Amino acid sequence: MEVYWVIGYFLVLALTLIYKTPLIRGPWIFLLRSFFPNWKFFHAVGYVPHLYARAAQVNNEGKLTWSEWEHLYPRTAQNFWHLFHNPVTNLGLAQQNLIDHFWADLNEAPEGCDPRNLVSYQMVAHLVDGVLLDKYPDHTQSNLNCACY
Amino acid sequence: MILDWHSAYIVSTPLAIRAMELLFALSLGIQTLEYWRMRSATQGRGLWIWSIQRYDIPQPSLRQFLDVLFTPASFSALLALRLLALLSVAIQGGDLWSIGFLFVSNLAILIRWRGAFNGGSDFMTLVVLTGLFIAQLVSHFASPELGWRAGFWYITIQSITSYFMSGSVKLLKREWRDGRAMTIFLNGAIHGPLRTNHWLRKPWVAVISSWSFILWESAAPLALLDARLAMVFCTIAALFHFLVFWYFGLNRFFWAWLATFPAIVWCAGQI
Repeated sequence: MEVYWVIGYFLVLALTLIYKTPLIRGPWIFLLRSFFPNWKFFHAVGYVPHLYARAAQVNNEGKLTWSEWEHLYPRTAQNFWHLFHNPVTNLGLAQQNLIDHFWADLNEAPEGCDPRNLVSYQMVAHLVDGVLLDKYPDHTQSNLNCACY
Repeated sequence: MILDWHSAYIVSTPLAIRAMELLFALSLGIQTLEYWRMRSATQGRGLWIWSIQRYDIPQPSLRQFLDVLFTPASFSALLALRLLALLSVAIQGGDLWSIGFLFVSNLAILIRWRGAFNGGSDFMTLVVLTGLFIAQLVSHFASPELGWRAGFWYITIQSITSYFMSGSVKLLKREWRDGRAMTIFLNGAIHGPLRTNHWLRKPWVAVISSWSFILWESAAPLALLDARLAMVFCTIAALFHFLVFWYFGLNRFFWAWLATFPAIVWCAGQI
């Protein structure tokens, strides 16, 4: 009996690849999205958002001097033992996921929306502040730039 | 249909239950220990501070409850309790209380990381946890036979669906069919970019690899035709997930999917 259910299920699944259904959005849908997986991994071939940041320091003449843009894109080295314990790489992947969400939020925001109200923006700004504070402890201003390529 | 509870179809029901509980405890244990090591990222200048993330929660009353739950001390206690529950599942098997606690605390942890920390591995971890929870609930209120049957089938359908969907969407993309997508993803991966002379940059290798993944993933439902076929499928899947770990750093995917394999082999033996 199960075999017919399984065949029917995968036929319906194949149909869902052709027919698009409307997207349902909402804060709780977002927070509980693990209950509704779409299982489409590595399918969106295209541009990836990259985060850049720079800091400004006041020089002896009282003028702002800007640092070079820092590319905040996580990279780690391969290691077999990371199969069992891999917090640094996983934090890096989570950071890049956040940049992806920030980019999506920016693109979906209504006209005239202030991005500083977005939680994803505030988190990205907090990330940038943390990185720049480590590298430029005396900086007085910072810029962040998100580019997709 | 009445199940022959102790017949070995390749894996008997008790063996499949034990194998899944052990693999699941290992998978979630690895995740929980990683969360433990990441606690500094959730405090002070860390990226994942709750004082910003709390505005994701629409209801002020729930936000206040989560403010208490996600203080550093409470969150550490939650992780420690999860490790104890996992130890109990690994040593003496799951029960309604340990699995129920892991299920509810998993929801809290997902909310702490804005719905998902590691994407697909969180989804599959929740699938296995839901399957185990279904098994325990139905066992408690009806019968263990029905409970584990429901739990195993839920996990199997979701796991096989994940391969089928992942392969089918690649089949529909030209970049995957001509092999370009794999190089693009590998260059953008956390261990990337590939060296200029890396063997995966050779177009013919990329095309053969891409088509191998597409065909194998899309054919995943065939694994349910026979338990021996399912064993072969799961062996290839383990190798596939190891490669995904090696090139993309996704160690949690390896363990999360491995925990579903006993259910797949068991269900294949039932058809």
